[in-house]
Amino acid sequence: MNWDRLTTVEEMEAATNSLLENGKKVGADSWQQRVKNQTPHCGFGEAGTCCRICSMGPCRITPKSPRGICGCDVHGIVGRNFLRFVAGGSATHSDHGREICHTLYESKEGGAYQVKDPEKLIRIAKEWGVETEGKDIYDLAHEVAEMALLEYGKPFGTQRFLKRAPEHTQKLWHDAGIEPRAIDREVSTALHMTHMGNSSLPEALIRQSLRSGLSDGWGGSMAGTEFSDVLFGTPKPVDTTANIGVLEKDQVNIIVHGHDPSLSEMVVYYANDPEMIALAKSVGAKGINVAGVCCTANEVAMRHGIPMAGNFLSQENVVLTGACEAIVVDVQCIFPALGPLSKCFHTKFITTSPICRMPDSEFIQFSADSAAENAKAIVKMAVENFKNRKSELVNIPNQVSKARVGYSLEAIVKVLDGVANTQVDQMGTTKPLLECITSGVLRGAVAMVGCNNPKVRPDYAHIELMKKLLENDIILIVSGCSAQAAAKAGLMDPDLAKEYCGAGLKRVCELAGIPPVLHMGSCVDISRMMLLAAELSKDSGVPISKLPVVGCAPEWMSEKAVSIGNYVVATGIDTFLGVDPYVKGSSEVCELLTGEHGVKDWVEANYTVELDIDKLGDMMIERIEQKRAALGI
Amino acid sequence: MTLFERVFGGNDAVYGLTEAAIDNAIAQYGEGQAVSFPDTAYSLPCYYAVTGTKVSTLGELKAALAVVKSLMTRNNRLNDAFMSGVATALCAEFIEVLKYINGATPYEAPCYGHLSDAVIRNLGVPLVTGDIPGVPVILGTAPSADEAVDLVKSYQSQGMLVTLVGGIIDQLQEKGYKTGDNVRIIPLGKDVTSVIHVVSVALRAALIFGNITPGDAAGLMKYTMERVPAFVNAFAPLDDVIVACGAGAIALGFPVITNEQENIFRVPKSLIVQPDVTKFNATSLEARDIKIKITNIDIPVSFASAFEGEIIRRGDMQVEVDGSRVDCFELVQTKEASEVEDHKITVVGPEIDEIPVGSKISMSYTVDVAGKAMQPDFESVMERKFHSYLNCIEGVMHTGQRDMIRIRISKADFEAGFKFRHLGEVLYAKLKNEFEAVVDKCQVTIVVDAEKNAELRHHANAVFAKRDDRLKSMTDESVPVYYTCIMCQAFSPSHVCIVTPERLGLCGAVSWLDAKATNELDPTGPCQVVPKDRCIDENLGRYEDVDEAVNKYSHGALEHVTLYSLFQDPMTSCGCFECICGVEPVSMGVVITCREHAGVTPLGMSFSEMASMTGGGVQTPGFMGHGKQFISSKKFLKAEGGLGRIVWMPKELKDQVRERLDQSAFELYGVEHFTDMIADETICTEDPEQLLNYLSEVGHPVLGMEPFDM
Repeated sequence: MNWDRLTTVEEMEAATNSLLENGKKVGADSWQQRVKNQTPHCGFGEAGTCCRICSMGPCRITPKSPRGICGCDVHGIVGRNFLRFVAGGSATHSDHGREICHTLYESKEGGAYQVKDPEKLIRIAKEWGVETEGKDIYDLAHEVAEMALLEYGKPFGTQRFLKRAPEHTQKLWHDAGIEPRAIDREVSTALHMTHMGNSSLPEALIRQSLRSGLSDGWGGSMAGTEFSDVLFGTPKPVDTTANIGVLEKDQVNIIVHGHDPSLSEMVVYYANDPEMIALAKSVGAKGINVAGVCCTANEVAMRHGIPMAGNFLSQENVVLTGACEAIVVDVQCIFPALGPLSKCFHTKFITTSPICRMPDSEFIQFSADSAAENAKAIVKMAVENFKNRKSELVNIPNQVSKARVGYSLEAIVKVLDGVANTQVDQMGTTKPLLECITSGVLRGAVAMVGCNNPKVRPDYAHIELMKKLLENDIILIVSGCSAQAAAKAGLMDPDLAKEYCGAGLKRVCELAGIPPVLHMGSCVDISRMMLLAAELSKDSGVPISKLPVVGCAPEWMSEKAVSIGNYVVATGIDTFLGVDPYVKGSSEVCELLTGEHGVKDWVEANYTVELDIDKLGDMMIERIEQKRAALGI
Repeated sequence: MTLFERVFGGNDAVYGLTEAAIDNAIAQYGEGQAVSFPDTAYSLPCYYAVTGTKVSTLGELKAALAVVKSLMTRNNRLNDAFMSGVATALCAEFIEVLKYINGATPYEAPCYGHLSDAVIRNLGVPLVTGDIPGVPVILGTAPSADEAVDLVKSYQSQGMLVTLVGGIIDQLQEKGYKTGDNVRIIPLGKDVTSVIHVVSVALRAALIFGNITPGDAAGLMKYTMERVPAFVNAFAPLDDVIVACGAGAIALGFPVITNEQENIFRVPKSLIVQPDVTKFNATSLEARDIKIKITNIDIPVSFASAFEGEIIRRGDMQVEVDGSRVDCFELVQTKEASEVEDHKITVVGPEIDEIPVGSKISMSYTVDVAGKAMQPDFESVMERKFHSYLNCIEGVMHTGQRDMIRIRISKADFEAGFKFRHLGEVLYAKLKNEFEAVVDKCQVTIVVDAEKNAELRHHANAVFAKRDDRLKSMTDESVPVYYTCIMCQAFSPSHVCIVTPERLGLCGAVSWLDAKATNELDPTGPCQVVPKDRCIDENLGRYEDVDEAVNKYSHGALEHVTLYSLFQDPMTSCGCFECICGVEPVSMGVVITCREHAGVTPLGMSFSEMASMTGGGVQTPGFMGHGKQFISSKKFLKAEGGLGRIVWMPKELKDQVRERLDQSAFELYGVEHFTDMIADETICTEDPEQLLNYLSEVGHPVLGMEPFDM
């Protein structure tokens, strides 16, 4: 282990290669191989110009055939495809949020699920005008959960959380006609609008894309984040470790993977159960090690310091170590490849959600009322599988970095209080961060999020962009697989990472005791970033779009990511993408998304797409400096 | 204009002046002219410290200026601003050294100008010991001479080494305020460049005490930031030159506090705008994380540990706070910094002089504490100290804790002018002093009003119950380590308590949480971490780690201690245990009695008689002192079959532990209402036969247990 410097992408790739060698021994398939098989990709698909919405087609737009059979032109087709992509992401995030609301509804005193942050629940209840005085906390939880669930299908009105935005932002949304109504309605409207014979006007389709995205970021995702905090505790700074080396050679390794913390929380709990630990010892293991992959990792790392084995494109690696007794998944971003892959090793691939059913998996349906016994059964299954491990196939690359994670908005404000001066400053605000920015000590902030994508050298874009921004005194707020890329490299190690910063950011890290890359959570937790932006705007009196803050998803791949992009832009934050969102086939849609007159006229922000990662970094720094100059700071 | 533009502008201006001054000097004296400060081995100390190069002639000074110029980069990054600040400071040093050409004495009393190496070496010890807690650098002219004096005086009374630059020197002179290094007030000079003489002290300190290699600029800045407790107070108006100097100060880790509100930016912990000059002191201390040790407590009677054991007899008593009859309590609670006004002492209700002599009164005192490192777990630790603090007051006696306190204040104290608020003064001063690592602000509210206290006591009890609940949820298995407690070693030198969540210290006052907090507050103090990695026997609670700890902390007097056995190497006692248990041989059970119970037990012995069997750090198998809370623990006598062995307890004690004891017994043996199966003084006192009959009658579980393996 080298704690003195960052782990490089080359070193991580070397580790992956050694794991692939392991795979070859047992005839395992890999995403690296499948990428080769799938290349080149369909050009119509990539440009967004293939329409298979009705059965008259599929229609593909070319210069010789500029319109589909129904007469829809390329702009309508690209716009419809884009909106459907957004709707898919929005539905996915929001349904995750809905599950959390249901879990909150099922919470009870002494039950598997309890209210761990009653103050936060009371705060939300008050925000929603619910009487809290003298009310049992579980009665309140159920009342608020039901209200939250009604946000998904309310017949009238708009999302309750919109009121958290600065007034200026709310007005923009109102004037643009994109205030999201019921969450499910925005998905339905999107699907309805894109059905054969409905909208083909790009502007209308993009407006609905923003609206559907907002129903996610300021609706479903925000509910997911807020009520996860209520149930499992609001994250606060905690030290953990990251990268493939967190798997333990002598222990039962259980990997939790997916997004919904309801499952992983229980698995973590039972992995610490003395009975289970005793069982593990009885089968010759030294203990039980739970590690995470993807956003489930983020959730349990933020709340319990559970180590993070890797991000999206590391999911096969954990099985390839030959030391993974079970990979337990909930929902989203699970490779179906894990089924066949697990069969090459002793690994149990356990699916748990009716949303995510896969061949070659063992299905243990997880539900709030049986959560405890489900989780115990899963842990037991993993422990009992330890004896089936083949020692000759065990290869755990020795790569681990330290990371301090858990920077919820609440935690960030607490950190900022720590550097405020009680003699002059108001506590509980983001003002100290604003002062660092206005004085120039920090140049700005970048919210870096999103996935891995084989189209980009995995993790390279995240890590290299971060390093470039840190050198330029730009603080990073990260989530999802981007956060794990940073953690794997060592960029969340407070002692180490500050050495990669400019003098300004380094000083801030020293005074505040933080790493320069702040882990804000999973991908639903990008809602936390929206609230941070909202607070910065309120505390400064400057509209969000004028703050020297931009968003970036350099390696994004999922529909969720496009939904996120839409709500981030709609919130007023310029967003930089390293992968094209299947719109290049339409100049009009491109203009609407990336031009000066399109979404920018409505919400004061737009997209930039640049596949050259180094240029993407320069463009972000330039945009931040432009915003500073406009503010005269 | 941005902050960086101001820094760059100020730096450029100073650089221009310096260049001209050096060129003029060369024109006048030639390049070979020697330049130096008197009485230093460090050449031009700042330039030498930063670059590692010594300068001895005007020609070399000119060359050095080119090096300074190379620091003056102009990117919009803090590094450039910091380096420009450093460059400004170095320019100031160059301008200052020119004043000393040919042995000139440019500074006259009261100003000092350059300070010799000897002065710095003299400052070393008081700076390291914290006798000098900080070095304020006050720059400019205060809004009025009175405010200038007040500010300087406030720092002086805290023992700081105050340095002055500019108009404030005249302001102090105008008021006839005495300055000089003997009173720790050093006027440097009236030009802004004279500020370099204190920077020179800081940098030479890094070379002298910090063993920093000259030229290691990064190491230098780290040293000054972490170890030199200097800070700047700069009075409005701030011009660009001062802003540039400020950047240099901030680069070295010295925050700048100013009352300038025009065209200024704020930077947390670094550049702080405080419009109210009277708050410069408090603002600066917080910015530089300086905590002042309070040595004098403002009370009309003596305060010393000599008075700790003093007894106040009824006849000598002016008033008595009597928690056994009326509502009284003492409480520490954690608050947000904004909710606490430091050193605010409030007395609600009558003062001592409004109460008839000999009264028994209701009193509560609540101490609100705020601090960035404060944790609610420390509250009880602080609270336990009140007993000692209040006893140290001459003529005051304190006993008990929580809502069972008793305080007597003597007639002599009353006559000396002692007031209730002085209790607050003592608590404030001692907490701030002893818990300086966590207490940033502290206020005390004393309530002398029976009605209010009745109400407040409910709140306090809720807090106490919550603390107990937190402890209840913890088990010996659920925590990673145990702690020692050797607070009693002053009078019981070979006793060591091993404190676990389920087995609190036998005095009842040190829970596992208390021990943990004590350890965090004072890592070398009485509570040390005991790992629990090497378990030898889980049932006995025998650990290699525990044996090592007791051996070490009893200084070899004890070799083995088990956590859960009455017979096998039982834990020792100091003598201040809440309860004691002893074997009752007829029933093969144990009898427990407590300090409050005066009567005899079926062993034919009273509490004091049983207590004499053990204590003083001796192991007496079959007798063991313990806290009340331990009785209902599943670990109590675990090695001998558990709490089912208890056959007799005083009724009052039964009632205190009933709820949890019943629950534990149910969980262990499936027995309901176990406490009722335990005999008490209403059932039998001295007759073991009577006891056995009762046990048979109720079907006590001890009857089904194996005889003790004595």
